Amino acid sequence: MSEKLLEVKNLKTSFRIKDDYYAAVDDVSLSVNKNEVLAIVGESGCGKSALAFSIMGLHNRAKIEGNIMFKNQDIANISPAKLNKLRGNNMGMIFQDPLTALNPLMEIGDQIGEALLLHNKDLSKEKRKDKVIQLLTKVGIPRPEHVYEQFPHELSGGMRQRVVIATAIANEPELLIADEPTTALDVTIQSQILDLIKELKDDMDAGIIMITHDLGVVAEMADRVAVMYAGQIVEVSDVYTLFESPLHPYTRSLFNSVPNTAEAQSKLHVIQGIVPSLQKLPREGCRFSARIPWVEESAHEEHPELHEVSPGHFVRCTCYKHFNFPDSSKEEQQHGIS
Amino acid sequence: MAFLEVEDLKVHFPIKGGIFGRTVDYVRAVDGVSLSLEKGKTYGLVGESGSGKTTTGRAIIGLNKITSGKVTFDGNDISNLKSRSEVRKDVQMIFQDPYSSLNPKKRVIDIVAEPLRNFEKLSKKEEKIRVQELLELVGLSPESILKYPHEFSGGQRQRIGIARAIALKPKLIIADEPVSALDVSVQAQVLNFMQDIQQELDLTYLFIGHDLGVIKHMCDKIGIMYKGRYVEEGTTEEIFNNPQHIYTKRLVAAIPDIDPKRRQEQTQFRQEVKTEYEQSYNDYFDDEGLAYKLQPVTDTHLVALPEKG
Ligand SMILES: Nc1ncnc2c1ncn2[C@@H]1O[C@H](COP(=O)(O)OP(=O)(O)OP(=O)(O)O)[C@@H](O)[C@H]1O
Ligand SMILES: Nc1ncnc2c1ncn2[C@@H]1O[C@H](COP(=O)(O)OP(=O)(O)OP(=O)(O)O)[C@@H](O)[C@H]1O
Ligand SMILES: [Mg+2]
Ligand SMILES: [Mg+2]
Repeated sequence: MSEKLLEVKNLKTSFRIKDDYYAAVDDVSLSVNKNEVLAIVGESGCGKSALAFSIMGLHNRAKIEGNIMFKNQDIANISPAKLNKLRGNNMGMIFQDPLTALNPLMEIGDQIGEALLLHNKDLSKEKRKDKVIQLLTKVGIPRPEHVYEQFPHELSGGMRQRVVIATAIANEPELLIADEPTTALDVTIQSQILDLIKELKDDMDAGIIMITHDLGVVAEMADRVAVMYAGQIVEVSDVYTLFESPLHPYTRSLFNSVPNTAEAQSKLHVIQGIVPSLQKLPREGCRFSARIPWVEESAHEEHPELHEVSPGHFVRCTCYKHFNFPDSSKEEQQHGIS
Repeated sequence: MAFLEVEDLKVHFPIKGGIFGRTVDYVRAVDGVSLSLEKGKTYGLVGESGSGKTTTGRAIIGLNKITSGKVTFDGNDISNLKSRSEVRKDVQMIFQDPYSSLNPKKRVIDIVAEPLRNFEKLSKKEEKIRVQELLELVGLSPESILKYPHEFSGGQRQRIGIARAIALKPKLIIADEPVSALDVSVQAQVLNFMQDIQQELDLTYLFIGHDLGVIKHMCDKIGIMYKGRYVEEGTTEEIFNNPQHIYTKRLVAAIPDIDPKRRQEQTQFRQEVKTEYEQSYNDYFDDEGLAYKLQPVTDTHLVALPEKG
């Protein structure tokens, strides 16, 4: 049942800025089993897409360190040709940004057809078209025959995203990385897409990495959740435990920021401070400490580690034991336009 | 007359076909939309993907040609291009796609300062300070000004777009899914911020979105679109507590539940609404699968149903 599909060990992904390398993913280890959804949540810019791109081997200019084991094969260091084949057949990715994933000069039908060819290069033109139309229908695109001949710029945002989804699932991958797969979609289509992903998981035993900032989607989809902050995993647990008793101050702040349906038009909780840029990322001590300045320095570890607080539930740093929301954090810094 | 008044707006795109590339049909992207927006209020536009929300917004601001209908802003007819140039400064748009809406070859300072350069004469130093202030307002560090869009994450890019949209202190902002690409904390920050400047500048928002939690939080009034037409319009309370159209009901049922323990129930409830949707489809949509004309339920609540009698 819980057969390991992907295991990432001590992954470090660094981008070169001027003359130095800065790690956007900094010592991340995680695993995904067959028939399992691992959700990754975290602040914008914390390295989720960089992590996904690293696993897929899509960074061409970044420095990648560590191991990425896919079905017991280290894919961090295999030839581009082998990787390409793996990507077309066994691993699929739904890109966060549909426009960069799509070729602006190519008709939709040809783009998806191309993905099918990767899997089976003998597929006849007619068969390919049938399959593409089937896929477009599956992702809920109305009038698929018409869309087949359209170009990306002629489609709405959500339609483009669904084309990317159709491409990613075309070959029924064993591992699907979905980077914000439903952010551009209305909720009815979203639930249809989520059902599709569940199907891939349940029927094909696929492993899914689901990157999202919609905690509702996490609640509905995930088996386990990893919370990232500033390039690191700060908390990981099964979904029920995490939603019932989130521990890390960042995770708790996250839950507090969700628009509370009961108090419409009131102020939402905001985490103090700004997201540090890659060069300014704190590299020492507890990386979240600057965002919770009211917590005493002694509460943090010098070299924060992941602690297993209950089976399968890990939290980084000891500061969670001493964390409380200050009353003043409700009246956030006053914004104004001058 | 309301601050923004859209009357029977239609935007049709031609479908070309055959070897001569003649127009064989039209995509009726927006097919008879009317809405009115009071000053200082937030109007939510939600609906199916591809239902014409972005096209409606783009038509109002003049980025899509209007096939027919009328748009009045602050008493001025802005349906045609000529009359529009005067209000260009007052109506701004935050674009749905933070990737393609930012010129990849320009630095952040040039992107954000662009509207300032068109309308205000600032010295280089003043401009830099203004841009840095704007970036800080949207939660980006001041040193970001010299970077290029590709050096930012998706959410960070969206905030650059917001900084640009508010640079000129416009009166109406058409916000096309302004927070969809953001994580919840930054989303909270942007939403709080949008509410703050709304009060301060007496801003009016046309807020396009699909996260119904966000829509509920932000909007006074909501319009629900389906295939280019409205299926329902009402106050936020009416739409969420007393949805009348089967499509609206389905939309509300599809909102993800934040409690993982309720997965099972939620799936079941959704299935029930789906069954109801399928069974009563013909009562709510015409032969072409389009919505009927709107009928009043209350003064503020309208539902697209076949005319009685
Ligand atoms: N090619 C690149 N060169 C330099 N810096 C980069 C590059 N790509 C990403 N970064 C930086 O790396 C960090 C992580 O970016 P990433 O796109 O992984 O964020 P993310 O968690 O996916 O955010 P979001 O939720 O906004 O999509 C950010 O600080 C970003 O600015
Ligand atoms: N330039 C264009 N040429 C042809 N068709 C177009 C063009 N722009 C939009 N359309 C079509 O008009 C319809 C409405 O698109 P629009 O972008 O307004 O939808 P939307 O409601 O904003 O959807 P989403 O929620 O997915 O962003 C779609 O069928 C789309 O394919
Ligand atoms: Mg990302
Ligand atoms: Mg749109």
